[in-house]
Amino acid sequence: MQSPNSEVDEPAGAGEVPEDLDFVREKAGIREFRLRSNGLRVLLLRNPVAPVATFAVVYHVGSRNEAVGHTGATHLLEHLMFKGTPEFDREKGTAVAAILEALGARFNATTWFDRTNYYETIPSDRIEDAVKIEASRMRGALLRDSDRVPEMTVVRNEYERGENSPFQVLYKETFATAFREHPYHHPTIGWRTDIEGVTTDRLKEFYDVFYHPNNATAMLIGDFEEEEALATIARHFGPILPSARPIPVVYTVEPPQEGERRFVVRRTGQVAWVALSWRSVEARHRDTAALAALGNVLGGGLTARLHLALVEKSLALSVTVVAWQLRDPALFSVFAPVRPGVAPDVVERTIRAEAARVASEGVTEAEAEKARTQIEAEVIFERDSTDQVAASLSEAIAVADWEWYAEYPEMVRRVTAADIRRVAATYFVDDGLTVGLYLPKEPPPA
Amino acid sequence: MKESSARSALAVSGERMPFEEAVRRRTLSNGARLFVLENHFNPTVAVSGSLNAGPLFAPPDRRLLASVTAGELAKGTERRTKLEIAEELESRGASFTISAGSSDPVGVDVAAASLARDVEVLLDVLAEVLLSPVFPEEELEKERMRLVGVLREQQDQTSVRAFEAAARRLYPPGHPLHRRRAEERIAIIESLRRDELRRFYDDHYGSGTLLLVVVGDVDSQRILDGLERRLGSWKPGPPPEIPRPGPVPPAPGRETVRMPDKASADVVLAQPADLERQDPEYLACTLANSALGQSSLTSRLGVRVRDTEGLTYGIHSGFAATHLAGPFAVSLTVKPESRDAAVAATLEEIRRFLREGMTAKELADEKSSHIGRFKVDLSSNGGMAHAIDAAVYYGLGISYLDGFPALVGAVTKEEADAAFAKRVDPDQFTIVSAGSFDSP
Repeated sequence: MQSPNSEVDEPAGAGEVPEDLDFVREKAGIREFRLRSNGLRVLLLRNPVAPVATFAVVYHVGSRNEAVGHTGATHLLEHLMFKGTPEFDREKGTAVAAILEALGARFNATTWFDRTNYYETIPSDRIEDAVKIEASRMRGALLRDSDRVPEMTVVRNEYERGENSPFQVLYKETFATAFREHPYHHPTIGWRTDIEGVTTDRLKEFYDVFYHPNNATAMLIGDFEEEEALATIARHFGPILPSARPIPVVYTVEPPQEGERRFVVRRTGQVAWVALSWRSVEARHRDTAALAALGNVLGGGLTARLHLALVEKSLALSVTVVAWQLRDPALFSVFAPVRPGVAPDVVERTIRAEAARVASEGVTEAEAEKARTQIEAEVIFERDSTDQVAASLSEAIAVADWEWYAEYPEMVRRVTAADIRRVAATYFVDDGLTVGLYLPKEPPPA
Repeated sequence: MKESSARSALAVSGERMPFEEAVRRRTLSNGARLFVLENHFNPTVAVSGSLNAGPLFAPPDRRLLASVTAGELAKGTERRTKLEIAEELESRGASFTISAGSSDPVGVDVAAASLARDVEVLLDVLAEVLLSPVFPEEELEKERMRLVGVLREQQDQTSVRAFEAAARRLYPPGHPLHRRRAEERIAIIESLRRDELRRFYDDHYGSGTLLLVVVGDVDSQRILDGLERRLGSWKPGPPPEIPRPGPVPPAPGRETVRMPDKASADVVLAQPADLERQDPEYLACTLANSALGQSSLTSRLGVRVRDTEGLTYGIHSGFAATHLAGPFAVSLTVKPESRDAAVAATLEEIRRFLREGMTAKELADEKSSHIGRFKVDLSSNGGMAHAIDAAVYYGLGISYLDGFPALVGAVTKEEADAAFAKRVDPDQFTIVSAGSFDSP
């Protein structure tokens, strides 16, 4: 098995480091620098697979940093970040999206529990355009009330679209049930009335607390010359001041769950869904790689155990297994739409029985090897495109750090069949389980 | 990592060898067309391909036969069962899908990927599945049950219901783009038998229209030889002619599909559009459409309906142009109470666009966007395989990929405005909404 980390063997330290940056360390082709003036972390990964590059900025702020009354604020703020800065302003016809669209960029921003990221994949001769935009909105967002008002209803429609999806309804309800104290309790999109009610001033306050170079990581992946790229980043981000106050930390810890929890959602429809989620661990935990492998043993393809037990037996239409990897302890989830005509509790019992069987009997060496290979292949496939690498690196930074991304393939390679059995036995316990049912009801009479 | 001394269309710093030169190709005596592009930057391989056995070739009252046949090819061969095939691929982290659907009624699509070291295994499976499927009865039985469930699940989705209702109104029964009601489709699925699939396979599958593109960390000569060895003896199958249905008149009108408990509704505004992918005016139409509605963030519809009025999270317009001319459609999601305002704003913007045409700036921006996006889309093995496949499949030729920037650059405002106006007329729109509406 080749190491995915050996595939890009560009010479390290190709150029001079501009004087306003410090070189920090290097691993698996990723080189870390820090801007002296403000603490911005900069990661470079040359991957000259094509004449394109992805520039991304990750902020260490997500719905995890929100509290009662302003859930969804991180996400709404992310939307407003496209509206205007002194240099890029929709009201002057220089909107961020219009500039990027004209370059042919693939760009967007996303918000999740632990982070917000902004990214653009551009032809490599246009890297500076992306850097300029991100530097401009790091501290320069105008955040006008006239922007928030129409954007609130845009976001509300995004929320409403999510409410149409049984999968999204189940996952939101699952987190709300499994987490009562920790902010993973509320969904990243926010509660409907918080989306509607949050004020522009509250969003500004949020921006001023969290959007600072010392709470962000900038990364450039793809085809570029290092010295030139660093100089460009330093030129545009260097003048930004660091935060005057320390970035607040989240200290809430979800206490252990002391018994199975259940919920039911009933809506008009034709197909029932079943979701089972067990409390698990934070991404940095030593069991994370084994839980990922367990996820593949149960849900990684037609030959995976839950697929064989549910879909091959015509009990479910499909099955999705998610070993959530988040900054704080998260969940291990199984979602399945039930085939019409089958009782949902048959699907629930089957999932519980398969979970118990892995915990008691373990998995074969062949299953463990297949899971390891699948995860390893995924990492190699990611290297095909710069935006996929950027997405994975962003997640790693959000839930752990970039070295975790670099070390992940090795962590997975070390997982044994015994490890998979051990984590199944450790985490598949009824007291840590949340069961959710989405049950269709008949439409009201016309 | 191999040195890039091997031929590659990709090189650092933009010095790209033309695709026309870099892509190695071979046409077999049975008609199969094979293309390989070496790219040694990452040890992976992507395969994209097609052959003409989509719904267009199935009987008009049983179009589903084509998609089910394609889906059952990998369910068992003369040598191996479905799970043995799946195990072979999954134990290597490789993937392989073969499918046919109504978005392109002509082609069956092949998409596959593996690590470079497993490419021979991947090509073995591909050839085995294409050449020797056995359509096991028990697999078809399971698939019938699963498909019925999936279809019911889709009927709970507002987007599916809006598009299906629009397709039903726009295209008459029997037309390959018509969409029958769910209950009719369920009855067809339940009546499908192994013999019928077998017969469809025997009548329509063959090398004559087969097209396969392999891109990645491979030796092109070896791949071409290997594919010839595996596929050279396959029967040519039917001739490559594509029977085209006649033009369809527009069907203006409105329809509401009522679905309880839906927080968001889907709206589709559509009309049949005389535009095939090979049409010389295709690029002119897509440039104009991009200015109107390709992006929710920057196109006119997005700026008006999303950014200014806040009525939707997403609004898009586009032509469904394949070998057949499909509809021009605008789709958006709305809170049900906002539907009428959103539709009115959408129609007003389209009328204004038709009246005034594109601005010079819009045309310049859309051109640079098309050219830049094209470059970005060609930045992965999968992206390149797909682009080469599409260029050949639509008869444009591989040189199309090299000439794309010039072709885009040559389109004038007058051409774009006229090509678009010729095909889009809001007075002819079918407007369908699906969601929780109290009023029609």
